[in-house]
Amino acid sequence: MHNTQLVQAVWGGVLFGSVYGLMALGLTLAWGAVRLLNLAHGAIFIIGAYAAYWVVSSLHLTILVALPVGVLTAALFAALLHALFIRPVIGKPGFDNATLVATVGLSIAVSAAALLIFNPEYKVVPPVVPGASIVAGVQITNQGLLVIAASLALFAVVYLFLTYTRQGMAIRAVSQQREAASLMSIPVVRTYGVVITISGALAGVAGVLLSPFFFLNPSSGFNPMIQALIVTIFGGLGSVRGALVAGYVLGLFESFVEVYLGVAWALPGVFLLIIVMLIVRPNGLFGVGEVRRL
Amino acid sequence: MSAETAVTPPLARPAPNEDAAPWRRVPLVTVGGVLLLGVLVPILLERLEIGDYLVTLLILFFMQAVVAQSWNLIMGYGGIYSFAQVALFAVGGWTTGVLAHSLGWNPFLSVLFAPVLATAAALLIGLPTLRLRGTYVVLLTLAFHELARVFAINGPRFISGGGYGLVTVATFPLGDAVGAQRNTYLYYLALAVFGLATFVIWRVIHSPLGAAATALRDSETYAVSRGVNQFRVRLILFATSAFFTGLAGGYMTHYEGGISTSVFDLSRLIDLLAMIVIGGWGTFGGPILGAAIVIGLDQVLVGIGDYRALAEGLIVAVIAVFAPRGLWPIIRDAYDRYLGPEPPREAAGDPPAETDDRGGPTGTGVTEGGG
Repeated sequence: MHNTQLVQAVWGGVLFGSVYGLMALGLTLAWGAVRLLNLAHGAIFIIGAYAAYWVVSSLHLTILVALPVGVLTAALFAALLHALFIRPVIGKPGFDNATLVATVGLSIAVSAAALLIFNPEYKVVPPVVPGASIVAGVQITNQGLLVIAASLALFAVVYLFLTYTRQGMAIRAVSQQREAASLMSIPVVRTYGVVITISGALAGVAGVLLSPFFFLNPSSGFNPMIQALIVTIFGGLGSVRGALVAGYVLGLFESFVEVYLGVAWALPGVFLLIIVMLIVRPNGLFGVGEVRRL
Repeated sequence: MSAETAVTPPLARPAPNEDAAPWRRVPLVTVGGVLLLGVLVPILLERLEIGDYLVTLLILFFMQAVVAQSWNLIMGYGGIYSFAQVALFAVGGWTTGVLAHSLGWNPFLSVLFAPVLATAAALLIGLPTLRLRGTYVVLLTLAFHELARVFAINGPRFISGGGYGLVTVATFPLGDAVGAQRNTYLYYLALAVFGLATFVIWRVIHSPLGAAATALRDSETYAVSRGVNQFRVRLILFATSAFFTGLAGGYMTHYEGGISTSVFDLSRLIDLLAMIVIGGWGTFGGPILGAAIVIGLDQVLVGIGDYRALAEGLIVAVIAVFAPRGLWPIIRDAYDRYLGPEPPREAAGDPPAETDDRGGPTGTGVTEGGG
């Protein structure tokens, strides 16, 4: 009995920790490199999920085709977002205001569009790998294992990409000093686009892989985005490592609260945790103190 | 910024330059005229066939404008990216709703507690968040919004009303007045709330506090180094904004006879955001103009129905990026050219000062632009 609860809490924690980490990775990349707080991240998430759903339900193809389609659609949307709404204000005063308001507006527009195209009913995206096994009375789905593996793999890929490739180095250079990077003839604007597109693709992966757990309706991007924001801030804005660790910490915390205290306490508990965190360590687990610039 | 901060004799508050004083720019005739118009409008409109409907629209406009102005006060002037506005509106609505519904208080009494509790809630959110930078404020206020929504739906029954909100709250008791007569009374009440909110917000913006807030928004480092207490300024702005938002929430609860959990829908948020962005972010008249435009368009375009949120979202995004100043500066320039009093030529050895009113969303650009 006790054992079941414990296994359930740990399983739920690790699973949702991976999920949060995956969502937070995209957000933290965009913030770290571009200083873009992308409030349309949840919208990109559902774009990926709906694209996959459409491929499966209307084209009757397998989810293995739908997964890349979903990810590509999400990345494409992110690239468009960059080209139309971020690019025009790069380097201008008011970048913060404009991008914040624009991404909020777009995220609501996307929800509204989803509502018009697919009705408000909950949709089910089939799992990529069906099946499950029972461990100590807790159902461990294969999809869950896939999500955990995919999340860890993507973290590794992003880390290696940022550390060893030329493009990755360009991104880090831009995030550290935009002017200096530009003087070293790094194409700053294109780098912004690359980062935002990657960030969108990650949100798309999360969307397709997660919809079997969350179901899908036009507003189901909101909650994962809030959780991802919390994780991002908890781990330190702009820190890839922080997003990974904080994802698991928050996932486990929430899961334990849910199992032992009840679902109703999960959100207030997380909220309390983040407030305490911000008081104790205002820059998050791995965040570097922001230099105040004139 | 303005004359307030230009000259600072040691240990003395700088003497305000009376000629540059912003209230000089709005002659008494204009204020009186607008007020008189506001008072006369229902009397004139009730003679029309659709007058009743128009008065109802005006009431709606007043309340939306109050909330939009309050939000603009912190977002546009304060540079605080708070998304708790709708939640604070709901706090006000629920406060008075519960008092009137569960305890049977007179709505006129209970509505007075709406702004008080909304302000208290704002202080509660503000104390941990407002010391932090913008991004954290976005997160924590969004989390507060979500928390309030969950509580309103799943909370104790006297709050949640079983998941749909409070559906049977007493409306304002206005004696025997019914129909158009009652509508007129409600109109005057809304006008009073709107007038009070507008006046106070106008004074706050044009006070040293407002100047400090805009200075913080435009260059945080500089303002802080000039001795502006960032936390205090932001907290006062936040509380002021919450006060009127809560009051509007309380009014709407008794006006509609209930408050539903659908106030937390994102479409409500985009409505308000559209008002601010279309009218002009960080300008005094912008949100009022924006509220009028959004409500007006809503009546004209009632047919587009489901496309509304889509259109609003796109319009907001496009204006935010391509025309961040909104519409108000255009109107303001026209007013200055044709109707406004002559600017005092003599005092201005320097060119006519660009007042803080029309800066538009210069935002934290200066601090962020350094790369």
